Amino acid sequence: MTGTESDSLDRLSPGVTAVIAALDFEEADRVRLMELGFIPGSSVSCQRVVPMGDLAIFQVEGTQVALRKETAARITLQPSSTTRNPDADSG
Amino acid sequence: MPTAVEAQTETRQSLPGKNRAVAICGPPNVGKSSFFNRLTGLRQKVANYPGITVEKRVGSLRLKDGGQVDLIDLPGIVGMHPRSEDERICVEILRGRSDTLPRPVAAILLLDSTNLQAHLRMVPGILGLGLPTLVVLNMADELEARGGSVDVEAVSAQIGAPVVLASAVTGTGMKEVLRFVQGSFAPPRKVELPVINNIPAERKWAHSVAARSSYHTPEPSLWGRRLDRAFLHPVAGPLIFLAVVIAVFQSIFTLAVPLMDAVESAISVSAGWIGALLPDSMLKGLLLDGVWGGVGSVVVFLPQILILFLFIGLLEDSGYLARAAVIADRSMRSVGLEGRSFIPLLSSYACAIPAVMAARTIENQRDRLATLLIAPLTTCSARLPVYALLIAAFIPERPLLGPFLGTRAAVLLGLYAAGFFAACGTAWLLKSIVLKSKPAPFVLQLPAYRWPTICSLAFRLIDRAKIFLRRAGTVILVTTIVLWFLASVPYQDGEPPPIGESLAGSIGRTIEPLVEPLGLNWKIGIGLITSLAAREVIVGTLGTIYGMEADEGSPALQQALQSELSFGGAIALLMYFAFAMQCMSTVAIVRRETGGWKWPAIQFAYMLVLAYATGFAAYRVFG
Ligand SMILES: Nc1nc2c(ncn2[C@@H]2O[C@H](COP(=O)(O)OP(=O)(O)O)[C@@H](O)[C@H]2O)c(=O)[nH]1
Ligand SMILES: [Mg+2]
Repeated sequence: MTGTESDSLDRLSPGVTAVIAALDFEEADRVRLMELGFIPGSSVSCQRVVPMGDLAIFQVEGTQVALRKETAARITLQPSSTTRNPDADSG
Repeated sequence: MPTAVEAQTETRQSLPGKNRAVAICGPPNVGKSSFFNRLTGLRQKVANYPGITVEKRVGSLRLKDGGQVDLIDLPGIVGMHPRSEDERICVEILRGRSDTLPRPVAAILLLDSTNLQAHLRMVPGILGLGLPTLVVLNMADELEARGGSVDVEAVSAQIGAPVVLASAVTGTGMKEVLRFVQGSFAPPRKVELPVINNIPAERKWAHSVAARSSYHTPEPSLWGRRLDRAFLHPVAGPLIFLAVVIAVFQSIFTLAVPLMDAVESAISVSAGWIGALLPDSMLKGLLLDGVWGGVGSVVVFLPQILILFLFIGLLEDSGYLARAAVIADRSMRSVGLEGRSFIPLLSSYACAIPAVMAARTIENQRDRLATLLIAPLTTCSARLPVYALLIAAFIPERPLLGPFLGTRAAVLLGLYAAGFFAACGTAWLLKSIVLKSKPAPFVLQLPAYRWPTICSLAFRLIDRAKIFLRRAGTVILVTTIVLWFLASVPYQDGEPPPIGESLAGSIGRTIEPLVEPLGLNWKIGIGLITSLAAREVIVGTLGTIYGMEADEGSPALQQALQSELSFGGAIALLMYFAFAMQCMSTVAIVRRETGGWKWPAIQFAYMLVLAYATGFAAYRVFG
């Protein structure tokens, strides 16, 4: 447990896993993000941050999805659900 | 091979009718098209405008009893809430609300067995349609190779539908799939499924089904990680992207040459045969100069088009294209477009028409309008024959970057870049002046890396060749014949006139003052008019004009152009084709999509001004 991580997806550092709590979007966008795996209750890990275009790549429900930082910022995580994944890539 | 197809013999019912359709559906990249190809082989038809995203293919399967089943290969969906045009098509067909296809009598739901928990979430939505459904867990080969396993019978018992573990690559499970398609279909057994449209409940259900089917998650693939590390690296990533693009353009010239020579000699040899067979007559002139000269000069470019699509296929099937989209995201963002505009724009490298249709993906109406207005500026494949002809005639081949990049490929790359930057600049103008709006969230799924299969690449190329040849056999053939007649009248002393004095010639001379500032003569002017039908028609037109002009054996089109056009004029013509909206089908589709003539008129005028101005400037600079 690393309680220092804040509770939104954009703050997740590479190699850290957490559980999704809620999505703060209008209905259509929320449904699409859930269909792509960002479902409350799913665990999500940050795989890498892509410096170009401030994207980050997440692993969720067995697939890799790229999100912009500002989109990730509106996905909240369950408090103190973060765990560090030792074999993750940090670059 | 474990199978649960037999699980439901009690409720089987035969369905009448000869052409029953079975739909293949599922999430993107699970192997739907590979499966479809494997089942139907060459007995398939492509819908009119298969781009990278909007496509719908129908193929037929002969049954042992003499009947026939149509298989429909649908675009991928991630749920029952379609957002993009291709997803909407898919859901409409499944619900039986499509205007073009009848409701399928059964569905094959393809899922990726290496990611079963997540993919089983699709099951309730599809079974809820009430169609007899076979659930195929594809990629069995990969599941096994990575140490995963699943109890198929247990999955079947829990979802109330037959389930097969299969692989489109090795062919495992195909027998069961064929049995389902050929036999009669059983409607899904009533099983308690989670409430449809409650995604968190569907997720919980899917995970529990997987757990109770002793699903062993396969080991994650390590080399996928390694490839991402290179392709998405801040420095290496963009460099690899650039290298890939350069390699594609270089091979359009180097790899295609022997193939093009072969096509060209096949055309001239067959023209020789026809010439020897037919007596001198007007029909012979039409066939030789009009059809063989005109259509033939376009068909020569088939190898280059196929090489372009071979690379697009390799990049898409391997999973690299999505990584390239990540790399390219910043430039999309800097011109104010949302990331989703990237996919329609990508398909406009094939053709602007699917791009304009795929712009329906974008809910934000202003972004959608901006995307469909700029789509025709990106370099569609119809421009390739025009570019290739002019580049081969006017740009001497010299190495630029050692053996990796020659001058010709560099000019072609420059033309593609010109189209891309013009599209971005126009988007920026539109977005900062007329169509301001807030960006929508950007989400892009990155498929797992996979080896592209020869079979799937071959089918893509066959599709492309069919479309190209169909155009050559319709639009290009008709304009070529019309042009040939205009160039053959009025008869002088019972002989066709010299082309300069024909009807086509006088039309050309009338517009010559308009094209002269670009360094072009009246013959090219005729080409600019005929190519309003479709860009590559200009190649056919010039083929016809120069073919008719030559008395003894037509000189190669390239040589004729070299003597007619200055270097500056050739560059001006290239710029004109890069920017002008020489495509009536695109005008028509933009009118349909925007519901009026206003936007297509603005778009046509804008592109014409841009084309004329850059052509004029190019002639001043290089002429
Ligand atoms: N290993 C493996 N790869 C497959 C299998 N089926 C499809 N593929 C690959 O998966 C990728 C996506 O396949 P495609 O048929 O285009 O998927 P679609 O998007 O569902 O139509 C391609 O590179 C295929 O070669 C399979 O059974 N096993
Ligand atoms: Mg497909």
